[in-house]
Amino acid sequence: MTARGGWLLVPALLACALGTAGGAALTLRMSLHAPGTGAGLYEPGSWSLANWMALADAHHGRIIATTVVTGLAVAALSTSAGYLMALAAAPLSGWRFALAVGLILAPRLCGVLAALFGLQRLLPRGWLGGVLAETWLVAPYAALVLVVALRGIDPALAAAARGLGAGPWLVLARVVWPLSLPAVALCLQLGWVWGLGAFLGPLFLGGPGEATLAVEMQRELFDLGRWPRAAADGVALSLLCVVALAASPRGARA
Amino acid sequence: MPTAGNAPSCAPAEAIRLEGVSCLRGPVLALDGVSLAVPAGAFVSILGPSGCGKSTLLGVVAGHIAPAAGRVLLGGAEAKALAPEARGIGMVFQNLALFPHLSAIDNVAFGPRARGAGAAEALGRARAMLARVGIGGDEAARRPDGLSGGQRQRVALARALVTRPAALLLDEPLSGLDTHLRSQMLELVLRLHKETGIATLMVTHDPAEAMAHGDILAVMNRGKVVESGPPRRLYEAPRSEFTAGFLGPANIVDAAVAGLPGSGRVLVRPEHLEINPSGAAFSRPMVVARLEYHGHEMLATLADGPLRWVARGRGFPPVGTAVVAGASRVHPLETGGSP
Repeated sequence: MTARGGWLLVPALLACALGTAGGAALTLRMSLHAPGTGAGLYEPGSWSLANWMALADAHHGRIIATTVVTGLAVAALSTSAGYLMALAAAPLSGWRFALAVGLILAPRLCGVLAALFGLQRLLPRGWLGGVLAETWLVAPYAALVLVVALRGIDPALAAAARGLGAGPWLVLARVVWPLSLPAVALCLQLGWVWGLGAFLGPLFLGGPGEATLAVEMQRELFDLGRWPRAAADGVALSLLCVVALAASPRGARA
Repeated sequence: MPTAGNAPSCAPAEAIRLEGVSCLRGPVLALDGVSLAVPAGAFVSILGPSGCGKSTLLGVVAGHIAPAAGRVLLGGAEAKALAPEARGIGMVFQNLALFPHLSAIDNVAFGPRARGAGAAEALGRARAMLARVGIGGDEAARRPDGLSGGQRQRVALARALVTRPAALLLDEPLSGLDTHLRSQMLELVLRLHKETGIATLMVTHDPAEAMAHGDILAVMNRGKVVESGPPRRLYEAPRSEFTAGFLGPANIVDAAVAGLPGSGRVLVRPEHLEINPSGAAFSRPMVVARLEYHGHEMLATLADGPLRWVARGRGFPPVGTAVVAGASRVHPLETGGSP
């Protein structure tokens, strides 16, 4: 992009500013409203840290811990499942490859709610069920990223390794795996952020004791009508995502 | 010198032997009944145009590509059931295929490690092999993207040789190098071949390279070995028109049309066509139609009625000069232009 063409970015920057930064600012403001006060941007006497203080109680501590562990579990499971699918699909060609990609995408070919109703029948109820459901939803994306990465590895490298005496497992461990690490890191990041925001899986399959921040926000908003408290949960979730991105391996951020 | 061909049985002195090997790449018959023998310790060049199946042939020998028909024998033993890692073949790929995430020394140590050597022993062998190809300590620690093209070629060669393979396959190892580096690398390849005595099969599309350095030259076209034998024999007395034309400038004419002795298609090499010849197989009046200066030699196009002849030499009369030209050697060809 030349300096002269930089103005083309203005609409995107405006959309970001209004959509993301603006939304984040409003949420932040909402989280600073005293319980029971209105929703204006500036309202004298309405400022309060009460909703933030509530995040430190044991109830929220458990929810935040569940959210973090769920994020980590979804990241690990979706990347592992995606890697296995990608290993199977990447070497194929022609209609076999098209079929493999179709199978990978199959979980996303029906509505999320329809899929979750089905998963309710198949998966155990509780935290694990919620994690598996979220993994089911995000693993296709991880697999596609990894398929592209594995197909980008020069086949001559594996052939060279075989010729040098390495069996298939050693080729995987010493050549394919190291060369696919940037994509693996990217998938871990994708699964991590996706898992932090896990909502439908824990909502449909999780029990009341395994609520994530996203589920708690829904409860505060629609069951209890406490918008400032839900906004504080939302800001906490956003901060967790920022921390997740900052903690991601360097290869995934490059 | 033994040559490739249809020998009836496998001699133990052969490092590699292919018997009637055919191979499909998608719908294309990439190899069509190829038979070829590489004697132990020989340097065999495979020459042919792009897409003729040269690299596929190497892939079949290395075990990366399964043949649809035919047999591959390594050291006299059937190789069909052998995985690539069990064949004991070293290979330098056309794109070198150096592991980009490993340093040069780790690339070279990969083979010994994969074959069970300890880390220290593998590194020691890699260091020694790299030294033999002229890669020192600082360069050995760099990854491939930190090396020059010539250094990468040397590392690839060292990696292929460090496991002391029974045969070495070189898939156009000099492509992408400038003339100076090509000649340096070729010298290195030949020196290592002489030192190690490892049977070497080198694919190239450069006739000069193939003829200058191979003990045996096999010419391929459209998935077949058109002809094989000592380079000099193939250049001066080829059987096929394709070989005659592919190995260098050639006057290939119908003997009857050109009024030459013999019948069918015949070959007259440009260096055998002389101005004012003595003792020529034929001679006739021609006119110098064009001159091309190539530094170490000149190519002259001589008009002979509707025929055009190419002559090679160091001095020719100016364009338009009437001359008497003739050839000291006329070689009859046996087969047509393509297999």
